[in-house]
Amino acid sequence: MPHVLPKIGSADLTIDEVAARLASEFGGDLVDVRVQEPDTVVARLDRADLKQVARRLRELPEIAYEMLNFVAAVDWLTHLESVYHLYSFAGNTYLELHVEVPRVEPELETVSDVWPSAEWHEREAWDMMGIRFHGHPDLRRILLKDDFVGHPLRKDYVDLVENHPNA
Amino acid sequence: MGLTDDLGLAALTEKLRYPNINQFEKPNVVTTTVDFVFSWARSRSVFPFTYGLACCAIEMLSSGFARFDVARYGMEVFRPTPRQCDLMIVAGTVNEKMAPVLKRLYDQMAEPKWVISMGACATSGGPFYDGYNVVNGVDKIVPVDVYIPGCPPRPEALFQGLLELQKKIQKMRIVPPRPKPPDDD
Repeated sequence: MPHVLPKIGSADLTIDEVAARLASEFGGDLVDVRVQEPDTVVARLDRADLKQVARRLRELPEIAYEMLNFVAAVDWLTHLESVYHLYSFAGNTYLELHVEVPRVEPELETVSDVWPSAEWHEREAWDMMGIRFHGHPDLRRILLKDDFVGHPLRKDYVDLVENHPNA
Repeated sequence: MGLTDDLGLAALTEKLRYPNINQFEKPNVVTTTVDFVFSWARSRSVFPFTYGLACCAIEMLSSGFARFDVARYGMEVFRPTPRQCDLMIVAGTVNEKMAPVLKRLYDQMAEPKWVISMGACATSGGPFYDGYNVVNGVDKIVPVDVYIPGCPPRPEALFQGLLELQKKIQKMRIVPPRPKPPDDD
């Protein structure tokens, strides 16, 4: 079924109203909701709640977050972090969701069934940072060759000569 | 004026201005070697393969446009398929995932074929020589004829590389060398 996107900014809410709306709608699920830039709201999220919050954000009345721009991964040395960059056409605002992931056994639920564009971004996060996404339809390496050893964007990655038979 | 007419020079001038086509029926012979003619033709009709991998590709493309105009050397026909090409200009960083693809495309090119390694990355890995996914030099995958230094090289540098390649092509022999006659002794 073709999905008809709302007119950009049709909700006509200020960024503070959007932040307040998100804080009240999601209660304790979204922690630390704050306005970071004139068009961006930032929030933290427990990784157990990721899937259901993602579904609700996509279906949110009036300011549905219908587009996933990017899934970033950050290595904070103490833990990893996955950052979801969302955009709402109706609200004409961005939302950054920060999800902490432990460094040992970094696992998350996939959101590729909520926003299909997450599929390749999650593959890249797995490729570069080693975050494993449960329920992903095709979690292979995307940029590096299939037999590559390790996840090179981690801060503690050491490049071994054995990894480079051609170089 | 009258004098020249008497000598028939006016008719001769008219003849030169409109040459009689029949003169081409006369024996019209140029002596040269087969090697020279073939390699001369080959070196001036090289079809490059559009193999841009990074910023060097921008220089390679701009060398094809009017300001630099690679057509002056008869090399303007960039082809996107290896089947129609005989020169692979590797312009940019070759990473390890691209390496098997590059090898395969090189194998698909018809003989005779040449490779130009354009820029520091294709030649040696360049600024990414210790990268986790970078092949340190395309010559580890395919044989390279001409290396062009620079990061990225300007179109003029690419042209110098192409001229070096032309010299190299002109040294090729099509006719195999004749075996030495056996000694009479």
